[in-house]
Amino acid sequence: MSVLLEAKNISKHFGGLKAVDGVNMNINKGEIFGIIGPNGAGKTTFFNICSGIYAPTAGQVVLEGKDISGFAPEKIARLGMARTFQNIQLFKYMTVLENVKIGFHIKTKTTMADAILHTKRYKEDEKLIQEKGMELLEYLGLQNLAGTRAGNLAYGVQRKVEIARALATDPKIILLDEPAAGMNPNETASLSEFIQNINKDGYTVAVIEHDMKFVMRTCHRIMVLNFGEKICEGTPEIVQADKLVNEAYFGKGRIARGEVMTDGNA
Amino acid sequence: MQYFISQIVNGLCQGSIYALMAIGYSVIVGVVGFVTFTHGEVIIMGAFAAYYAFEFVGSMNLPLGILAAFVASWLVGIFVYKVCYERFFKAPRHIALICTIAVSILLKNLMQIVFGAARKPMINVIDNKIYTMGPVQISRLQIVIILTVVVLSLLLLFIFKKTRWGVSLRAISQDKSAAALIGINVKRDAMVGNCIGSGLAGVAGLLIAMSYAILYPSMGSTFGMKAFTASVLGGLTSVPLAAVGGMCIGLVENIGITVTSATYRDIFAFVFLIIILLIRPQGFASKKGGRP
Amino acid sequence: MKELMKPVSGTLDTIRSAFLKHKKLCLLIGVVLSILLPLVFPGGYICGVFCRILFYGTMAGALNVINGYSGQMCLGVAGFFAIGSYTEAILATKFGLSMWVCILLSGIVSMIFGAVLALPTKRLSGIYLAIITLGFSEVIRIVCLNWTGLTGGTMGIKDIPAPTLFGFVFSRPRHYYYIFLVLAIIFLFCTRRVVNSRIGRAWMSIREDELAAKSLGVENGTYKITSFMYGAFWVGAIGAVYAPYVSYIDSTLFTLDTGWNVLAMLIIGGQGTLSGALVGSTVINTLTEALRSFGDWRYVVYALLILVVMWVRPQGIAGASNSILAGEKEQKVKQDAETKEEVC
Repeated sequence: MSVLLEAKNISKHFGGLKAVDGVNMNINKGEIFGIIGPNGAGKTTFFNICSGIYAPTAGQVVLEGKDISGFAPEKIARLGMARTFQNIQLFKYMTVLENVKIGFHIKTKTTMADAILHTKRYKEDEKLIQEKGMELLEYLGLQNLAGTRAGNLAYGVQRKVEIARALATDPKIILLDEPAAGMNPNETASLSEFIQNINKDGYTVAVIEHDMKFVMRTCHRIMVLNFGEKICEGTPEIVQADKLVNEAYFGKGRIARGEVMTDGNA
Repeated sequence: MQYFISQIVNGLCQGSIYALMAIGYSVIVGVVGFVTFTHGEVIIMGAFAAYYAFEFVGSMNLPLGILAAFVASWLVGIFVYKVCYERFFKAPRHIALICTIAVSILLKNLMQIVFGAARKPMINVIDNKIYTMGPVQISRLQIVIILTVVVLSLLLLFIFKKTRWGVSLRAISQDKSAAALIGINVKRDAMVGNCIGSGLAGVAGLLIAMSYAILYPSMGSTFGMKAFTASVLGGLTSVPLAAVGGMCIGLVENIGITVTSATYRDIFAFVFLIIILLIRPQGFASKKGGRP
Repeated sequence: MKELMKPVSGTLDTIRSAFLKHKKLCLLIGVVLSILLPLVFPGGYICGVFCRILFYGTMAGALNVINGYSGQMCLGVAGFFAIGSYTEAILATKFGLSMWVCILLSGIVSMIFGAVLALPTKRLSGIYLAIITLGFSEVIRIVCLNWTGLTGGTMGIKDIPAPTLFGFVFSRPRHYYYIFLVLAIIFLFCTRRVVNSRIGRAWMSIREDELAAKSLGVENGTYKITSFMYGAFWVGAIGAVYAPYVSYIDSTLFTLDTGWNVLAMLIIGGQGTLSGALVGSTVINTLTEALRSFGDWRYVVYALLILVVMWVRPQGIAGASNSILAGEKEQKVKQDAETKEEVC
């Protein structure tokens, strides 16, 4: 298995705060990679560095052997990395199909002259995105919602549309930032199945999630962050058994050992 | 050289008036959260109020003028707030913006109808005695202007730091919903903030009319733009930095016209601003305020 | 007031959807009517009003590309207008170039300025960009006022030659009307196609959510610059016809007030729609013309009209009520999302 996305000693400091500190990570082609950790562990910051929204203070992000650290997000998107956002960032006032069409932006080449003159290239592009867009929506079971305004959809469906939009860029790797947040157990289960499905169809997936059950069921390998540092990495079994992970999630005092009856938040 | 030094003195004096306008502007932007294009009209409204107060009383009493300017602009501030801001806090920003433009057109034309479009000579309240200190020459009028600005700024600082009003205004300017949560009447206090900003602008209007010795309704828009520019230089919401921005613009303008001709006066503020913004997108502020 | 005016806004919505339903028919009627108009009302005065409606409408439409579709805030439209007009005036009076060539040249010159002005958008946004464009407009005006050698300074440029076409001299407002009409139609035609293409979608994606657009590979900087260039080109082109139309230009024609007028027309008509700019221009120009005998009061009425439209229908007369530009609704969508979240 070849390494698709590699993070080498990534750090990101905001003033004195070390949001991410010296994290190394390898994501192999064809796997589902989970990133977990308590609130404020630096998971989203880490994603933002990978996708170019932040430049790392130190370290390198390598996509298919190419150093992409510090690249602009749009450039990284072109190189084959797509992502979704923790707080869904759909184009709320556009229809589902339009959202997906914008996802095809980097796959089309229409210029202004093409658009004005309706040249062959324009027609081909429009035909392509219309067909491929509907195909993609069918693939995700959203074809009936193509004409619906994205902002009017239910929460879980919006997540799906965001994933569809990301898939439209035909990415090599797709980063999902808390895709199950705000979903009920049924929706979460179907999301897990869905991610496994797109993974079988050849997409490499990296996913941040809070829901332990979801992560353990979905991911092949998991990395655990705490206070910006990697404390554990491995298969779900290894992570589950890890003492540091348990401490990070439940603390290591008397509360964690169950001697005091309070909510254990580390 | 003599000319250059006197231009610096003029620049400081004019800069202090711009500073007062910009302070008003920044208070408004900070507390209300919208930029405004009515500032120029508010400025001139203050000047007219003072002009008619002088005429009514028959004596050239400066404190009376300041009071009249402040109160009149305060009232205009209430009007602007009710019309432009109150219902648009949650709407897209361009709506409040276009409303302030509309009110600016409204006020300008109402002033032309009521006060007449002709230029009125602003009677000088202070005799124009000139003091000489070495190469520096400064008129009494200039001293009075600078002193007024300093006193008002200190007063504002006192209100902001020491009174309950000031504390709640600062709270609102940082986070409206959090301020509402701790029991601050955001709508009322935002209006008060808008009025304070407008009032200061009105006083600045009186000072500018005194220093130019002339007054007419359409002279406001230039000064509104200068206040806006100065405030942007200071990062929009920071009151002290807006004052610095105003001073800078006054100086740049008056030094600029020593190099080129006076007809280019109004360009310097903008060119200076564009250069600064290209170097530092946030102006003089330490980090991006970002909000408005 | 809001409640009182709700039926009005509702009626406008109904009219809007009726128009959308019979788009082609309405378009046809519109084109035929606008061709016939000067034949029915050949008077110089009334044709002048029609001309104003058209060139202001086209200019507001061009601004719409920048402000409405790409969601930037450009307040400097008067600057582009000045550049277009002066370019034509200088080329025509000093070099004897034909206006038809100048339309293109003015557009290109204005476009170059647009590109330069938009360069800082890579770093600046929102109100900072707005003040830069505002400053740009004023700087252009003051330079026009003072660069006597090139622009005639306060004297302006006189006797700008009227354009000719196959020996026909365009001398009356009703002649110019057709030039403006053709320009407006070409503009609408091009803009419609551009907006419904990859480029238009990219513009709108930047307006709706810049971060998401970036993450999908939309080069924000490039597209913002493109939208400025596109808008500036058309404003410049209009300016090139405007100069011989008024036959005398000076810097007082291009003050910030002109910019406010264009912006007000766009916003009253409705941003983000093709018809909005023309609707706004029609409403405002007709109104200010009808009130001409009231002197300064007409500007008061004009200002009040803007306020009323903003209070009653913030998306503008022709604007869609379910657009990001409508305001209010945004809250509703958010609320819906939140309540749904609670249900889940």
